[in-house]
Amino acid sequence: MSMESTRSANSAKRSFNNNSNSASSNSNSNPSNKKKKTSQKTLGVAWGSNSRSSSRSSFSNSPFSNFGSYMVEKNRKLQNQFEAEASTSSHGGSGSVKPIFDGVSIFVDGFTVPSSQELRGYMLKHGGRFENYFSRRRVTHIICSNLPDSKIKNLRSFSRGLPVVKPTWILESVTANKLLSWVPYQLDQLANNQPKLSAFFTLKRSSVSNGASTHAPCQVNPEAEDSSLKVGTSGDTYFSEVSEPFEHSKQISGESDDLVDENSNASLVEEPANSSGKPCEVAMAVPSNIDTEDESSVKNYLQSNHYQPSALVSSNCINNQNMKGSPSSTVSEPSNQSHSTLGDPNFVENYFKNSRLHFIGTWRNRYRKRFRTLSDGFNCTSSNIKASALKTAIMHVDMDCFFVSVVIRNHLELRDKPVAVCHSDNRKGTAEISSANYPARDYGIKAGMFVRDAKALCPHLVIFPYNFEAYEEVADQFYSVLHKHGNKVQAVSCDEAFLDVTDSEGDPQLLASKIRREIFETTGCTASAGIAGNMLMARLATRTAKPDGQCYIPPERDSLQKDFGLKTGEMLWNYSRGVDNRLVGLIQESKSVGAEVNWGVRFKDVKDAQNFLSNLCKEVSLRLQGCGVEGRTFTLKIKKRRKDAEEPTKYMGHGDCENLSHSTTVPVATDDVEVLQRITKQLFGSFHLDVKEIRGVGLQVSRLESTENSKQGLERNSLKSWLTSASARTEELCKNNYVAKESSNQGCEGEGDETLGQLCGNSVGLSIQMDSNTSNGAACLNEVSVPPPICHLDMGVLKSLPPELFSELNEIYGGKLVDFVAKNKGKTENMNHTLRAYSHEKIEGAMKEGQAALLPSMVFQNEIPVENKAKQHIAKEVPAVSGAESFVPASGLTKTDLIPSSLSQVDTAVLQQLPEELKVDILEHLPAHRMQVFSPNVLLYPTEIPLEALGTKTAENNSGSKDFVLDNNLWFGTPPHWVEKFKVSNCLILNILAEMYYKSGSTGNLSPILQCISSVSIHQLDAFQDGWDEAMYILCELLKQYIKLKIELDIEEIYVCFRLLRRFAMKSEFFIQMYNIVYPYLQALVGENYGGNLHMSLKD
Amino acid sequence: MDRKDNQSPQGETARILVEFLEVAITSIVFLKGVYPSGAFERRRYMNLVVQRACHPQLRDYIHSAVFGLLPFIQKGMVERAAVIFFNTDGIPVERFVFKLAVNQSYGSKVEDANLEFSLRSFLIKLSVSESLTKVLPRDYRWEITAYFRSLPEASANKDVEQWIPTDTRQWEQPPLLTPIKSMSSEPLCVQLYIEHPSLSEPKP
Repeated sequence: MSMESTRSANSAKRSFNNNSNSASSNSNSNPSNKKKKTSQKTLGVAWGSNSRSSSRSSFSNSPFSNFGSYMVEKNRKLQNQFEAEASTSSHGGSGSVKPIFDGVSIFVDGFTVPSSQELRGYMLKHGGRFENYFSRRRVTHIICSNLPDSKIKNLRSFSRGLPVVKPTWILESVTANKLLSWVPYQLDQLANNQPKLSAFFTLKRSSVSNGASTHAPCQVNPEAEDSSLKVGTSGDTYFSEVSEPFEHSKQISGESDDLVDENSNASLVEEPANSSGKPCEVAMAVPSNIDTEDESSVKNYLQSNHYQPSALVSSNCINNQNMKGSPSSTVSEPSNQSHSTLGDPNFVENYFKNSRLHFIGTWRNRYRKRFRTLSDGFNCTSSNIKASALKTAIMHVDMDCFFVSVVIRNHLELRDKPVAVCHSDNRKGTAEISSANYPARDYGIKAGMFVRDAKALCPHLVIFPYNFEAYEEVADQFYSVLHKHGNKVQAVSCDEAFLDVTDSEGDPQLLASKIRREIFETTGCTASAGIAGNMLMARLATRTAKPDGQCYIPPERDSLQKDFGLKTGEMLWNYSRGVDNRLVGLIQESKSVGAEVNWGVRFKDVKDAQNFLSNLCKEVSLRLQGCGVEGRTFTLKIKKRRKDAEEPTKYMGHGDCENLSHSTTVPVATDDVEVLQRITKQLFGSFHLDVKEIRGVGLQVSRLESTENSKQGLERNSLKSWLTSASARTEELCKNNYVAKESSNQGCEGEGDETLGQLCGNSVGLSIQMDSNTSNGAACLNEVSVPPPICHLDMGVLKSLPPELFSELNEIYGGKLVDFVAKNKGKTENMNHTLRAYSHEKIEGAMKEGQAALLPSMVFQNEIPVENKAKQHIAKEVPAVSGAESFVPASGLTKTDLIPSSLSQVDTAVLQQLPEELKVDILEHLPAHRMQVFSPNVLLYPTEIPLEALGTKTAENNSGSKDFVLDNNLWFGTPPHWVEKFKVSNCLILNILAEMYYKSGSTGNLSPILQCISSVSIHQLDAFQDGWDEAMYILCELLKQYIKLKIELDIEEIYVCFRLLRRFAMKSEFFIQMYNIVYPYLQALVGENYGGNLHMSLKD
Repeated sequence: MDRKDNQSPQGETARILVEFLEVAITSIVFLKGVYPSGAFERRRYMNLVVQRACHPQLRDYIHSAVFGLLPFIQKGMVERAAVIFFNTDGIPVERFVFKLAVNQSYGSKVEDANLEFSLRSFLIKLSVSESLTKVLPRDYRWEITAYFRSLPEASANKDVEQWIPTDTRQWEQPPLLTPIKSMSSEPLCVQLYIEHPSLSEPKP
């Protein structure tokens, strides 16, 4: 964004500023402004030009009586400005700019990218409007990138029902050069909220399920929805989600037999056939069933039997009563409670097992599994037939009163009698009838009616319980027939579907009758069909055709055609004209999965409630797994009895309730029962309710992700990379360890042994460990059971191995080792590993102070001389050398011949790291012995080793440091070297630092790490004694290097770090020391770079 | 925006930097309350609300001073630019220093958005930094001073002439620094810190 554009935008906003820029824009806008006004009557009062004087005068002419009138005036003025500018920009710009935002008026809330001014520019250019102040009347969309929590919680009062959209909507609409649907651009924070009705209409291929699933009306007045319960006659029972809310509201009011399980159902259906003369058979059947049930359902079963007879043919009634007399009496009144959550531990399970709506809801998933390949197949083709909308022929096939006709298909004698399906047939019951056949409907019986009302209308109404197995079977047969005749089948419900028969040959009417005949032949149930030019009409045609008929509506193309292709905003208009452009397509993916229970929910105490919740979670988890999805957002809905609500009319119903809901979102999608239970309990806890008041509980999981995808993603994103990086790391670690162990081992073995002398002849390192370590070293070697690849072997170490060991290794590597060594001989190698091994050892040694007398184990690869004298010097430095003293002379003898012929063979890196005295010794000594060779070589390689430079460098190096080695680049690499180093250290504080590095997000900056540490209690950091000095030293070094790294470019970072450190220093002895050591260094460097001192204020 | 096309990345970076400096310096002047707040008006820059001087002379001073730096910044000659507040004796009381470093050899295209993001953080931090600053004495004055790496040779360019060599009075002791914000991204590094006289500085 350039200043230029900002300015002009600004000048547009404020007309009375006096910079030349805006003046010009004003003068530009004036004429066109006037022009606009003449053409637009709506502007009303002449507002004059935008010039300063006129606005002044109008200001004085109309003194504002109050703030309100001021705002009115201001708004109008802004509006005028906007219009003036809009007209200039559309005139000025190319005329081809489409007014895509016609009718859109945005209000920008808060910080957005791009800025509100830019958005305003877009609206100007593309025919939209921009409001500076929110107004429910004028604004159509609210644009924002982020909302505070309070606004989210109180969304309606904030947005007043207007869509809240991300700014990308505008950008992408501009890019696409048409107005896109805002729905996908809804603010993320709101996306999990329930969509509004408007969303339902604007979405072209909207998921009906979604729209409907949310709606309170379904719950509030079940009566109104009754007709839709009659499956297939109304558009609302489409999808599983829809069925869920219905479930809540009209959950089958089984009085007492709500829990009849399927087995007993099955037997009930058989019974009437046999019953007429053989009551005893019924009686026999019952106990056998009992055997198969688990104990909890036995009770239910008995109970259901108690009521069952009246459902059957009446003659059976008495008989059954008699047979069942004794058991039923035991379970009469009090056991009614067992249907509620109070008594039945398997309540949730049984509840859903017996729910018809649950059957419909889950049916879709079963269907999808079964016909997956078919639907996938035509999915590809569905998009390319848009054009031929004129000739489309859509058939809608719907089974006639499915739930009844399936149940009575084997009872021919009942065909013309009034029959209904319901859980219970208690004459006085409040169970709702879910489906009634046509004879029954003639009596005025409707779905959703209470049984007692239905019986009042038609006393001889026969009531059947559900038979879900049969439903499933018939539904499958039904769809097999449909798939046979049309390759484009969109399932709507288990008994209802759309077919696209555009491509099929022959008269669609003939086809329809053929399909209906086949359905009747295979299932024994009748179906009706409607054929029309689109889905909506086809559906309406079916309604006319029912029962058992078909209807064809010829397309009224001419009248409809002109309505085609209109914008989504006019969708509603279109629907009212019967226009529906949707194609037959796949079922939309579920947006959420959940389960809700609000019948029979009564809790005695919190334990009950928790128990119920965990069962509910189980159910939801099973559903998630069944759909193959995992979800991230969990919403717990609670129905809480209103204070003044009385016991509901409907037995054990939820009555008048407040609906509460809480939701939470987790970062990783899950379908795990335990996670669900944990989350649900948390959510439940957040309600702070008296559990006795709860009348309904529902758990909804949304933000679904396919299980497969998420698994793949997981693998790709983290697991693999983690593995590789980890293996790389371990490899490196192994290597280091290996080197260290090897060298130590070698030290042990070689100690006092002449073989070491020979080894030294080869090159090398004298590493002297303690006697006590001998066994240790050997053991370590054994631990390295898998040999590292040959290329990873360190030459220095290899060469320094005792011959026995070497040959052993050689065996392990199948003889390749010898070749390898030969090849590498003479080559210069990277010193890093050996050095590291060395320092590692060194630290280790320091930790074991007291027991360990040590000599630095210098592993020199490049035939480096280690002077006899120098060695003795070290020996002197370290008191209490046990083995060393005997050793040094021994090696010394062989050593004298080992001094290289020239200084150029000395590895400078090693030389630099040596203690100063030692180095001076070497440098002095070398010429004394080999002067004649040395001097010409210096001449030969003057650039390679400038002696003076070497000297000064080493001096510098040693000035601040103790006598051991550190690499100079602790902060190099990602992660920086020190992290690795600290991790393997056995000093607590270093470990913590390394750990914090990862915890702080691995940014490579120190301040986040320190910030993380500040969350740990500092004083516990002091609680270590071992290696205090080492840790202090290495930390100071770390800080110094960090300062050096950052001083030039990021003094702020250093400042933040040191303020944190100073805070630590107040609590920790360790940090005080460290701070005091590093602080002068810091100030010196700041002085050097900035000519001042950092001001560490003492305030905080 | 057209200008961008025919300029090198350095030119573009320098231009953004100069623009930023103008805004930042105005913010500092506003922050210190040199002029009554009515002398400023709210503007939007980089999608942030900032202040802009209303008085043409003040605005011109800042604008021309900063834009006069443009050619030098492009050449990488400017090391620091400072807003210095000093008392009647000409002794500085507080200095806001921008330390600049433009990578001259940075070849690739500058990511406007990144740069903007970093620079925006300066303005945000600056607006809440009042507690770090000192209360100024009465009758103080302020000026913009730039520290060059080397003195520019006389040039025919008119803009250059606006900048004249000067020597401000310095403190005797090294000052105390309070860093406010640093950014280091390619190709531009900017650091803003405040300098105050050291505590041991002899009081006038």
